[in-house]
Order: sequence, then C-alpha cells, then structure tokens
Amino acid sequence: MQSSDKPSRILVIGGGFSGLTTAVDAAESGAEVIIVEKNPHLGGRVAQLNKYFPKMCPPVCGLEINFRRIKTNPGVQFHTLSEVTSVSGGPGNYDVAIQKHPRYVNDKCTACNACAEACPATRANDFNFGMDKTKAAYLPFNQAFPQQYVIDAKACKKDCGTPCKEACKYDAIDLEMKAETVNVKVDSIVVATGWNPYDADRIETLGSGKVPNTISNMEMERLAAPNGPTGGAINRPSDGKPVQKIAFVQCAGSRDENHLAFCSYICCMASLKQTLYIREQNPDAEVSIFYIDMRTPGRYEKFLNQVQADAKVSFIKGKVAKIEKVKNGDVTVTAEDMLTGDKVEKTFDMVVLATGMEPAGALKQLPGVSYIEGFAAPGAGIFPTGCSRNPMDVSKSAQDATSAALKAIHAGKGR
Amino acid sequence: MSDQILKPDLEFTKEIIAAGGESLKKCYQCSTCTVVCDVTPDRKPFPRKEMLYAQWGLKDKLLASPDVWLCHQCSDCTAHCPRGAKPGEVLGAVRKMTIQEFSSPSFMGKMVNDSKFLLLLFAIPTIIFLFELFIQGHLTNGIPRIPNGQLMSYSLMFPPTLYIDTVFVPVAFFAAFMFFKGIKNYWAAMSANYPAPPRKDVITPLAETVREILTHSVFEKCGVSKDRSIAHKILFYSFIGLAITTTLAASYIYVFDYNGPYPQTNIVKWIGNVSGVAMLIGITMIVMNRIKNKEKVGAGSYFDWFFIVVVYGVGLTGMLAQILRLANIPVLGYPMYFAHLVFVFVLFAYAPYSKMAHMVYRTTAMVFAKYSKRS
Repeated sequence: MQSSDKPSRILVIGGGFSGLTTAVDAAESGAEVIIVEKNPHLGGRVAQLNKYFPKMCPPVCGLEINFRRIKTNPGVQFHTLSEVTSVSGGPGNYDVAIQKHPRYVNDKCTACNACAEACPATRANDFNFGMDKTKAAYLPFNQAFPQQYVIDAKACKKDCGTPCKEACKYDAIDLEMKAETVNVKVDSIVVATGWNPYDADRIETLGSGKVPNTISNMEMERLAAPNGPTGGAINRPSDGKPVQKIAFVQCAGSRDENHLAFCSYICCMASLKQTLYIREQNPDAEVSIFYIDMRTPGRYEKFLNQVQADAKVSFIKGKVAKIEKVKNGDVTVTAEDMLTGDKVEKTFDMVVLATGMEPAGALKQLPGVSYIEGFAAPGAGIFPTGCSRNPMDVSKSAQDATSAALKAIHAGKGR
Repeated sequence: MSDQILKPDLEFTKEIIAAGGESLKKCYQCSTCTVVCDVTPDRKPFPRKEMLYAQWGLKDKLLASPDVWLCHQCSDCTAHCPRGAKPGEVLGAVRKMTIQEFSSPSFMGKMVNDSKFLLLLFAIPTIIFLFELFIQGHLTNGIPRIPNGQLMSYSLMFPPTLYIDTVFVPVAFFAAFMFFKGIKNYWAAMSANYPAPPRKDVITPLAETVREILTHSVFEKCGVSKDRSIAHKILFYSFIGLAITTTLAASYIYVFDYNGPYPQTNIVKWIGNVSGVAMLIGITMIVMNRIKNKEKVGAGSYFDWFFIVVVYGVGLTGMLAQILRLANIPVLGYPMYFAHLVFVFVLFAYAPYSKMAHMVYRTTAMVFAKYSKRS
C-alpha cells in the first residue's frame, strides 16, 4: 500500500454537522484536521433544530457526542468566528489564510453569565432568527460549544463593554482583542459550508415575507425548541396566541426556476415532523399541508403514513400562491385544491413556509472553490460535502461527511 | 370523471406545441397559475387544468370550452410559473386553434396562419384592384387626371359605389357569414360539453358580456401586463369609431347622395381622423407592451404579428393617403390609397381566420360562460 508516515492534513470549512463528522472521522483515522467556523459556536443548522425526523429525538445528543470526540482528540483544532480569506497551492500543498475575528472573550470564560447580566446593550438573537433578543455579551445558546461567551461589537458601541469587563471575576473579557490571520498548510480541503433558509422576502406569491404570523420552517424549529424564544410553546409571533389552526406551505422557493430550481429534499419531511410538534402540544390543533407532491423518499414513506393517519391533519394538493393578512393577525392562503378542481381560500392562526435550502455558495463563495448554481463542485483536493454540495437531510449528511473524510485522507496519503 | 376513458391525442399535443405552446410539457401541475390568475372563476379555475388537457391532447375539452377565452392573457401565470411552462402562451395557441377548428373553409384558416401564404393573401386584393384599374383604363392611361378646378379625389380612381362597394360589400357578407357559421359550430360544441344549461335567457348574458367588453372590466384585472388593457381599449374604441365613420359615409352616399371628398370640418372626418389616430396609438402601445414584456410573457406568434401588421397597415396607409390628398401629391397619394384598400381587404376578408376573430369567439365564449352559469 502506497502511504507515507505523515498524517494527512485536512482543512474543513464549516463546523456544522457535516464538517464535524468529517473532522472526527478523519481525526480518529489519524489525520490532522483544522475546522474553520464563521459562527462563535460549532453545530450549524442542526444545533437550531428541535428534533430530528423520523426518530423525533433532539439533535443535541448527537452533537454532544461529536463535541466530546473533538475535545478529546488532539488531532482536531478549530477556529470559531473565522473565515477562509485565501487559498493557494494545490492538492497536497495548499496554503490557506484564515481570518479570526475577535470574540472579546478569552478561554478563561466559565460561562457564568455575569457579563450578560451587566451588559447594557441588546442585540437581535440570530440563533432564533431575530424572534427574541440577547444582551450584546451572550452565549449563543445554552448548549453552545465552546461554552464561551462572545461580545457582539456591532451591538456594543463605545464603552458598553466596560460594565461586562468589570462584572467578570475571571478576567475573561478582553476588549482589546484584534482580528488576526492564521496561515496553515493542508493537503486537502473539505467544503462543508451548509445552507441558508431561502429568504421568503423574495417570494412575491407568498406575501414577500411581509404578512405577519407567516414564519419559515426554521423559525418553527426555534419556536418548538425548549431553548427557543418561547421555551417550546408554539405561539404565534404577533400576539403570542397558542396556535390552533396552522398551514404548511410546501415548496416555498424550491422547485421554482424563479427561486431555487431544485427540490430541497428535506422540507416535506420537516413539515410532517413539525405537524407532530403541534399535534403533540395541542390535541385540538388542526393542520393543513398544501403541497405539489409529498416527497418522502425511501423508508420515510412510513412517516408520511403515520401523519396521514391523524384525522386533524389535512393534505391539500395545490401550491399556495397567495398569502394575505386578515383581521386579528390571522392569515389567509389561497390554492387550487386539485383533487376537487376548485380554488380554496382558508384562514389560519399561523402559516409556516417550508422554505428551501439555499446553498451557502449562492450568497458567498470560497476562494479556490468552484461552484455550480451555488453548490460547491468537487476538484482535485477539494471535497464538498453535505448541503453545500447537494440538498440532503442529517443522516445523509453524516454518510456524505464520512465519505468526504475518506477522500480527504486519501488525497493526503497520495502525496 | 372516473368512469370516463380518456383518449390522449398526442398529435393534438404536437399541434399545440407547433402553434406556439412549445413550453407546455414543462408544466408539473403545481397550480400556481390558477391562484395568481385574477380573471379565472373560483370553481374549476384555469389554466392549470388546460395545461393538463394540453399535455394529454384532450382536444374536445380544450377547444369546446369557453375557458380558454375567459383567459385574457394577462400572463401573471406565465410570470410566476415555477417551470417556465408559460400557460398564457399555451392558451394563446389553443385559442388560435379554436379559431382554426371552427372556422370554415378550413384551408383559409391554414393559409392565414402560415407565412408561406402571406404573399398570396396580399396578392388576391392587389389583383382585384389592379383589375379594376385596368377596366377603367387607368393602367394604360396612368393615374386619373384631376379635372380643372376640382380637388384631388380618390373617387376618381375608384368610384365608390361601383368599384369599392362591389368588392367590400361581398367581402363583408362573406366574413359575416363565415363568422356566423364558426360561432354556430363553436356554440354547439360547447353545448355538447356542458349540456342542458339551467338558464334559458341568452339576452341577459349577452348584455352583461357587452358591458364587460365596453368597459374592459375583466381585462383591467390583469397584473403583470395591465398596460395592455389601456392599449386594447384605445384600439377597440378606434375600431368602433371607424365603424361609425364607415356607416356615416355610406349614409352620405346612399341616403343623401352626398359624395366625397368631404371637408375636414365635416363630422365624418372628425370621427374618422380621431379614430385613425387612436388606432395608430393603440396598436403602437400594443407593440411596445409586447416588446417590454417579452421576457416575462413571450413575444407572441405569427398569428399575433400578422394581425398587428395588418392593423398598422390599415391605419398608416389610411392616414397617409388622406395627408397626401390634402397635400395634393397624386403621384404618391394614389398608390397609397391603393395600398390602403389592399390592407382593408386583408383585414376584413380574412377576419374569420385571423386574430380579428378573437372578438367574435371571445364574445361567444363569454356569453356561453354566463349562459351556462360558468362564471
């Protein structure tokens, strides 16, 4: 077997579920891995989910196992609040510049929350899609890894940081922290930059994001999550009313050449899963799912059958193309019920747009990586994985990430 | 529905594709189109079902239905279609085929819609009017001489009663008869599809339809291409104005024995000129809207452009002929008048087969829809 004694050096861009899986799989096989994550914490989109389908278990347990594997493995380094600014060289010999943005909180942080209590400024909580606020000194979420606070400099102007610094007993606040650049040499690069929920403001036929009590499916995850803005109560944003009648609008941006030309793969399963959140929380709640085709590939069909068996859940074949606000914060949606052939107009307490997955590359592209319609394309020494490469669910991402780890190790050994 | 055996006619699907509905197979039946459409009825809305019928080649369901004409091709459906299936264009193609299906003789329908026959269509009136010039001796003696002390006059070239009306009166009767035959067939076909309408009275639906057409109230609901309604309204009223002009002029000749050219201050000139200018403005707006909305709604087919060019031809040659007469330039004026007659002939003689027929078929469909309580 052709092999060198030196371990493969792998850069993993993106510390979400795919990136973490690639990193631990590669590191546990002897590679040296560097993770670059733009957020102050690892875990990506999965950290924002309430439950996984189809097992309906919380994702944090899976994430925690990965975090633990990273913590105990000296082969993995990670940089949060960081981004790749340049890539040069080639397979077996990449020079990569990583810019690290200041956290203003050092490793002495014990996550005691004293800084946040003292902090006078607030910021929109991006982890909860702006549905609530945090202090400018904050922990992204209760189980964030690393368990280390961060100060949002944009929200913390002038001397707003001083009370934090004074409140910290551990000397963990460093307001003088500056951005720094780290240069690394790697053999291969795994792109695991993931996806963003498609911006509903761009969908004219679904109210352009302007109709109150119309939320995205990712916002629904945060609403239902115990560590979300409502502590897990599915109440509508405008007045906090518990949701009794709710609609899911499938293909919100997906399978549409004016928006995302592809099927986002997860949205049907996500809406079925979220239907269960509501039905578990409220035995009287009525759910309507408006769809073109319910796409529950392979063994997920069983999950569909399970939800279909619930008499309080109705499925309407017809894409919603009109959403309007009505009195009292209610929302009216219009579709053609294709099975009767008549237009239907129904009013709900809240509407969930099953917005699709826009690959990260559609908004921002990495140096040295080529893209096809926003999706990262493989190249010699460049291995895209997870949703940056193709829409997929978490379990497929895990498999894809392991495959990327193997390819990346192999690329390093070939040098 | 379920006990019916559907017979897909793939040849018919190919015909729709050839007629300008190239994109119809892209439709994946999401029904965005029916929801964004502001002119469709809520019960059994279009155009989603028409897209399915078109893909399956269900000819009777498409052609013998009023729905394709209830569509005013606002093209909101086309603009929002997630697949670029252009339902507006497909229904436009189906409307064209409806005209061809129900108009007779059928070879005329084919000729009017095929660019190969364009020259022939213009050659027919050209030969007729050349022949008229020939028998008057104008071909051998040159353009008519203007008698001393008289103004230049086109009646010197074609005396109205003998040389104009002997052509256009039969043309008008031919067109009217063919229209009558066409809508009779169309009504019968729709009645077979929607049997035993619960309403016996045709007058009320007709009155409602006429009111809708006069006010353009349906057309004005259009979203993406709402400017089209204004342009169409201007053109529509210019045609009404020109019809009034023609009626007045005929009554001058036949009732009052008062022959032209009429002074510019005469009411008939006022109505005629305002209408003529409106016609040119309206058709120009239509062309500009088509160019402006090309990306979103498509540029249209030969069928559309044939009609647009003929309307332009009638308007331009008519106005220019008048100007050249007033300027007393016979060497240009007479040929211009000749061209005007050729264009007017093309407009009317081929009306039952050209896009002009939409006024008759759409009106019929709108009346039938109301009569059968469709809308």
